[in-house]
Amino acid sequence: MNNDSRIGVFLCECGGKISSRIDLPQVRDLLQKESLGHLGIYPYPCLAPGLAAMQQEVRTNGLNRILVGGCASRVMKKRFTAGLAEAGIEKHQVELVNLKDHVARVHDAGPQGLARKATALLAGGIATLRLLEPYKPVAVPFEGPALILGGGISAFATARELARNGMESLVVSEGQNPDQVLELLPRTFPGSRIFFGEMAELLREVFTSPLVQVVPYQPIEYLIGGMGDYQLGMRQPDGSVTELTGVALVVALDREFDSADLASIGGGERVWDFLEMEKRLAEGRIKPGRLLFWINSPEHGKAAQEFGAVAAWRNSLVLAQKNSQVKPTVLYPANIAMPLTGADLAEARACGVGLMTYAPEVHPVVQSGYMTFISPKDGLEQEVEWDNLVVSAVPAEPTAKVQELLRWLPIYPEEGGRLAKSNVKLWPEDVPEESLFFSGSAGGICDLGEALQQGKKAARGVLRLREKARQGILVSPVVVTVDQDLCEGCGLCTEICPCGGIEHVKPGSGPVPREVDNHLCHGGGTCAAACPHEAIRVLNNNAQTLEARIKAMLSWMQEGDILGFVCSWGGLTSANQAGIKGLHYPTNVYLTSVNCLGSIDPVVLSMAFLSGAKGIMLAGCTPVDGCHYAHGVDHCWYRVNVVKKLLSLAGLDRRRIAMGYVNVNEPESFVRMVESRMESLEQLPPITRDDKNKAKLWAIHATLHRPRVRWVLGTSLRRPNDKVPGLQVDAVDADEIMVEVLQEEFLASRIFKALTGEPLNPRGLARALEEKVEDITPVLTEMEKDKRITLKRWEGGYPLYAVGKA
Amino acid sequence: MITFSINGQEYEGQEGWTILDVARWNGIEIPTLCHHGAVEPYGACRLCAVEVDDGRRSRVVISCMYPIKAGIKVQTHSPRVLNVRRWIVQLLLDESPEAPQIKELARSLGVTPSRFQKTGVDFACHLCGLCVRTCQEVVGVQALTFGNRGLRKEITSPFRTASKDCLGCGSCVYVCPTGAMEQLFSRVAG
Repeated sequence: MNNDSRIGVFLCECGGKISSRIDLPQVRDLLQKESLGHLGIYPYPCLAPGLAAMQQEVRTNGLNRILVGGCASRVMKKRFTAGLAEAGIEKHQVELVNLKDHVARVHDAGPQGLARKATALLAGGIATLRLLEPYKPVAVPFEGPALILGGGISAFATARELARNGMESLVVSEGQNPDQVLELLPRTFPGSRIFFGEMAELLREVFTSPLVQVVPYQPIEYLIGGMGDYQLGMRQPDGSVTELTGVALVVALDREFDSADLASIGGGERVWDFLEMEKRLAEGRIKPGRLLFWINSPEHGKAAQEFGAVAAWRNSLVLAQKNSQVKPTVLYPANIAMPLTGADLAEARACGVGLMTYAPEVHPVVQSGYMTFISPKDGLEQEVEWDNLVVSAVPAEPTAKVQELLRWLPIYPEEGGRLAKSNVKLWPEDVPEESLFFSGSAGGICDLGEALQQGKKAARGVLRLREKARQGILVSPVVVTVDQDLCEGCGLCTEICPCGGIEHVKPGSGPVPREVDNHLCHGGGTCAAACPHEAIRVLNNNAQTLEARIKAMLSWMQEGDILGFVCSWGGLTSANQAGIKGLHYPTNVYLTSVNCLGSIDPVVLSMAFLSGAKGIMLAGCTPVDGCHYAHGVDHCWYRVNVVKKLLSLAGLDRRRIAMGYVNVNEPESFVRMVESRMESLEQLPPITRDDKNKAKLWAIHATLHRPRVRWVLGTSLRRPNDKVPGLQVDAVDADEIMVEVLQEEFLASRIFKALTGEPLNPRGLARALEEKVEDITPVLTEMEKDKRITLKRWEGGYPLYAVGKA
Repeated sequence: MITFSINGQEYEGQEGWTILDVARWNGIEIPTLCHHGAVEPYGACRLCAVEVDDGRRSRVVISCMYPIKAGIKVQTHSPRVLNVRRWIVQLLLDESPEAPQIKELARSLGVTPSRFQKTGVDFACHLCGLCVRTCQEVVGVQALTFGNRGLRKEITSPFRTASKDCLGCGSCVYVCPTGAMEQLFSRVAG
């Protein structure tokens, strides 16, 4: 509890839009019992006079927390933060409760009824603000070289740009001099020979720069640390490990190409794939004659075909210029874009390079010395003669070397072998500035020029960070900490984190407490909700603040009311939009928004039932593509599932909690969801709050705090590397293990609760819990071994157990 | 403090406030479409027109951008102002006869569709730019922009393809006064 909090509550009439539907004076009267620094009703707090009035109140009452009961937080918050900045109020000190769209516009009840609901929502906001901890930004030092890994060609563009701006860099590369690099280049960029002159210049500049150190690539042993202090360990041939350190990380990875399978074409020495052609070109083993480049394999996507077509065109130019006896022709499908200008075409004509298109609907047919294809212009069959046929190479899957590197990075293989950073897409001001840079064609097949451009862009990103650091403003808006005493180093968080915010540790170093790199973290909070020992804390967005919020709300809610958790992307926006559109839904659902449903710790859900909720609904984005925090919504499903199982074990209906999916801009679906949730909950009576049920609900809550339960739950969560959505492995068996663990731990929690009242022997316990003695005895022995309970004494031949020390 | 009058009544305000700010703060309702508390005023819809008499002459200005000055006399519902508003609403109504907010405005001002009303219009974007401004000023990205010019001016994403910048946060849908963004949203977000 933060005792020096002075909260100001500002209720907005919104020109009658709120005040005509909600009895605001009554809300004010109901909130009087909360000790507040200020409480008032304003016609339009968001207009200039309103902001001036708020500033006045902040100054006269020394307010340091602001709660506005008005409209959508995400749209309006900035206005209040900017308007109150002069009075010393910062962003995190402002909270909005959406009375307009969650109460005033969507319900039929009268102003008094809605006043109670508005009060409940505001009380929740007040409770959260009371727990608010100050946000103290920590600037990270950022002086030293940048680490450029991956071996892609864009690495050199990054190094050059950094060197030109006076920043050091360490490039880990297979090629140790410009010639070696150029020799390796056609492997990843076939058709790049035409640029070798320019490339050689770039490489010469990089290799001779005193600011760039090119380090030979060796197998990666570890890549740990965070922004400002990355450590890369590489295993040397003699077995020792050398360590490189850097302040920033640039991953430059290019997509390699595999040889095409030519078995279906045959033709022996006369048919090559692109890689073979590159080799022959380098060795000067191309005979005069008609050389036909056939851009085939539509199965690898248009990007690969476009890349192949341009590469073929470039190599054709090289060939034709070298030897006028070689007559190259490029045959490519008509449905791809060939980015050639008029000048390019003129050059091709001048060199005698032929460009032809074929209708992609009909597969061209290869004959000996001829190729038949359908012309897209007239649909008529045509033939082209060849002496040598060259087909496209195949984009390769990430190599073992690349996969070894990716193990340490939040970069994952997507469909078709493309690599990508996690799909986390959040408000720019809510997340730290990009600090992990990923460039090169591995992120999507691209031209050499594009890859170099990406490298340059990455360098600019690094320089931006350096500039910020020099001004002392390189801070992250996300603050996540790990309690080093609680953390047992199990690594579950590292495994499930999609953004790479939880640092890796050296292999073989045992259970080391984790650290968080706040500059990579997006604050999704699923790691905190999964931690078996509850060691991870997201500042001002954790289980404690959410528990306080729902407890305060529940204290104002009535028996039939339910809690609704919405994520601020799908659920909340659709709920807001329902307000805008004037859709109506039952008054009984009280909404609470969270960043992502994945940030809801299961103990919050059990706390809701313990504090009086009749039922819960959760509305989040659709899994896989919809979720803005990668897998948050998936993770939430598993947590809800465990709460369901525990409700069943406690003899309460598991239908009391349910999850739904709704995306942004789907207000009608949201309303339908709320309506059917209310319908199914109306069939259930409120939970009778007798001692027996209270003890059971307490036991559910305690069970969800148990490290063993949280660990088993954590292992079932989806990992960023799991690419198949909804893939279950041994679903039934895994579930049975979960149920078994829950049964044991739930019984243990019930025993614990019963023993806190009075010391009991097994027989007495069995009577009190309505369980069999033989089921209880082994649990008691276990609990005594774990020192959760003690054997007080023997009485009448039976052991008497109690909580606490003997 | 600046003292001036609205509809014959004296009001006070600070430098930099607009007529609309002061009027709304004091409970005088002036209709708007393109005004939203979250973003800076823009003056696209002209519905907030008021008559200002600065002692020399009287003219119709838009209240959302007109800063208050000492001694000016503002009329928010004079016949001249109402005439301007009716004309604006007439044009909006003919452009999109089915938009609920426009219909409501027309009803309050007693405007009925003219013989020029469009048919077959199912949603109505009036290019007020609230979505574009919210995207830039509030969210801080540029996923939305104006495309084309003149009669063909429209709200679109840059290059008319699904925007890479778009977060899918739905803020544009939230601020849209006519509901047009609801239909455009999927095209922008992809």
